[in-house]
Amino acid sequence: MGNRPSYPGTPRWVKVSGIIVIVLVVLVVIMLLSGHGPGRHTSSAGDAGSQVVLSGVTDEHSLAEVRRG
Amino acid sequence: MIMAPRLRNVALVAHIALSVGWIGAVAGYIALDVAAATSRNAETLRACYLAMELIAWYVLVPLALAALLTGLVMSLGTKWGLFRHYWVLISLLLTIIASVVLLVETQTISHFATVAADPATSGDDLRSLGSTLVHSVGGAVVLLVILVLNVYKPRGMTRYGWRKQYEQRPKQYTLEPDPTYKEGS
Repeated sequence: MGNRPSYPGTPRWVKVSGIIVIVLVVLVVIMLLSGHGPGRHTSSAGDAGSQVVLSGVTDEHSLAEVRRG
Repeated sequence: MIMAPRLRNVALVAHIALSVGWIGAVAGYIALDVAAATSRNAETLRACYLAMELIAWYVLVPLALAALLTGLVMSLGTKWGLFRHYWVLISLLLTIIASVVLLVETQTISHFATVAADPATSGDDLRSLGSTLVHSVGGAVVLLVILVLNVYKPRGMTRYGWRKQYEQRPKQYTLEPDPTYKEGS
């Protein structure tokens, strides 16, 4: 009872999960560096985080929709 | 400090309700997110972005923070501890990551809603906003992983947990069968 058993080590499921996470992180980093990341959802109107350039003046149909609503 | 059984059950009910509620809220958010990503109708897009902001700020963020808080209470107030078992530690890390990503993403969602709320915003501008689908679906996957970890509780102690277990063994642990244990209890 006096001797403490040695630590059995990290479980296999933790190691496998860790490898999967590392692979996913590397893939995401590659995607971001190649310009295919999720930040692109704002990139059509400029860089991520920038203000959208409005063209409401030229879109009379949409304005009419809003007024009608 | 280990919680009394009655208090532990109250905390457990709260933690399950808040955590599963978070998953359900994400599912509802994803429905709006899919509509925002696929719809060409300006009114639908406007409604989606405004609803997404409301859900994000008034449902997702409170549920995420409350689930994180009750998770901390459950781990620190029970024998599981916070850093002793890998499944608890990984659940904690994933919950923190999901909460931080959510808080960062609310800035994007609020930006979408601000643009959508402006009557001068055209249909083309609304269609060019896009969605947060990658983050919302990714968040749902992370939450489901946390749910699986919490239900199955896979074996495996951290080095810290292993050391603590044997430090406390003379006081709390024994290799002998527990005489108070009853089959099926």
